[in-house]
Amino acid sequence: MSYDDVEIEDMEWNEELQAYTYPCPCGDLFQITKDDLKLGEEIARCPSCSLYITVIYNMEDFSGEPDRKTNKGLEPSKQQTVTVA
Amino acid sequence: MGEDEEEKQEIWSWGAGTDGQLGTCKLQDEHFPQLLHLPSLSSAGPISMLACGGAHVIALTSVGKVLTWGRGTSGQLGHGDTVNNPHPKPVVFSESCFVTHVSAGWNHSGFVSDGGSVFTCGDGSFGQLGHGDFKFHCSPVKVSYFINKHVEQIACGMRHSIVLLKGHSGDQVYAFGSGKRGQLGISKGRVNSVCLPEVTCGLEDVEIVSIAANGDHSAALSTDGRLYTWGKGFNGTTNAFCPVCVPESLCFTEVALGWNHALLLTAGDGEAIMLGGNNHGVLSNPDKMSSVKQLQDSRGANLERVPALEGKKVLHIAAGAEHSALITAEDGVIRSWGWGEHGQLGLGNTCDQMRPEVVILSQDVHKEATKIKVYCGSGFTIVLRSLAQTSAFEC
Repeated sequence: MSYDDVEIEDMEWNEELQAYTYPCPCGDLFQITKDDLKLGEEIARCPSCSLYITVIYNMEDFSGEPDRKTNKGLEPSKQQTVTVA
Repeated sequence: MGEDEEEKQEIWSWGAGTDGQLGTCKLQDEHFPQLLHLPSLSSAGPISMLACGGAHVIALTSVGKVLTWGRGTSGQLGHGDTVNNPHPKPVVFSESCFVTHVSAGWNHSGFVSDGGSVFTCGDGSFGQLGHGDFKFHCSPVKVSYFINKHVEQIACGMRHSIVLLKGHSGDQVYAFGSGKRGQLGISKGRVNSVCLPEVTCGLEDVEIVSIAANGDHSAALSTDGRLYTWGKGFNGTTNAFCPVCVPESLCFTEVALGWNHALLLTAGDGEAIMLGGNNHGVLSNPDKMSSVKQLQDSRGANLERVPALEGKKVLHIAAGAEHSALITAEDGVIRSWGWGEHGQLGLGNTCDQMRPEVVILSQDVHKEATKIKVYCGSGFTIVLRSLAQTSAFEC
């Protein structure tokens, strides 16, 4: 069972891991990469334990061409508010 | 009693340990309680309190000094760097101060001095350090908002902090950081993040004795034993954007917050009560708890007595993200339950437990525990035990 449902805007971009992350109750981080998101993957896993979360996001935000992506400001900032048209 | 006896402190730790938070220097999980051998701690003098965060620990000594260990990647250890440190190391403050209270959040730390100042360090991405920006700090920085004010306590959650301030015009709670789930209690509407302290509403004229924060929850306990909670709803109930009082018929002396549950200790009869916990702090699965008298808080979540204590009075409670621990009064026995995947229950396995189970620290018959306290981090547990030992019998 999914531990929690988390909106992508509540996840943090981790440069080192090249993944969106969210705190896991074990102390580690749930992680999902941009490539996963492009493929429509919605499960972010914790590398240290059996728990996972369901990521709520709009797939279109991640499936566009590179130039469109930059226009939409997808380089995540922690305070970013994702506007969905 | 008296001069022949001296007190010796022991620290035991178990659970998730890969960031060095157990102080064992092994960077691995431990399923059984481990007795720590930490010269840097013993030489610092007696410890008066510990605080455990996502993966770091803060120890406050009786002479107002602070040592930290564990994950330091956001600067939360206050050592001036951003690296993990498996050994306790002193935190250096920019000015000399006697620290009286500490709190550890997911990746940030808070310190209160006897002069009423607040210092914070670590991850500031959500404004949880209160410095008016979203930067991290790897050494404690004084929160300038509270200069000329008298702060007594700080409580750090996952992405927010709350502060208890005592002033001429009564007590006030201030909050900063992420407010997405109402955990700041500063507005009736949705707040994203604030990086400067703002006053929590709905606690005017309430005399507050203690505050708590963990996950996206916040809580305050009044001197007359009333409990207020705000933030993320328990058991899927709605988030509370302002403090809500848990039924006034009950009187509490202690509150401990997890990520999906709260533990409460009632005044007088010392009963442990659990609020929420439908995930791994598993006690309130309604199917399994039908025989337990259920109470309801005003947000709709169930309050349930912690079972299997056979009428034993509870002295002290602690909550990790998804596990719980308590100490019973007469025998000083530690019990733990909830999520156990990292060995955080200290029972020698990785099983979850629905009911409190006795944790055994290796016993020494010549020693008697005079004080015992348990602290939970996200996925780990630490016990601080004072032993009276008669010097004459020491070999």
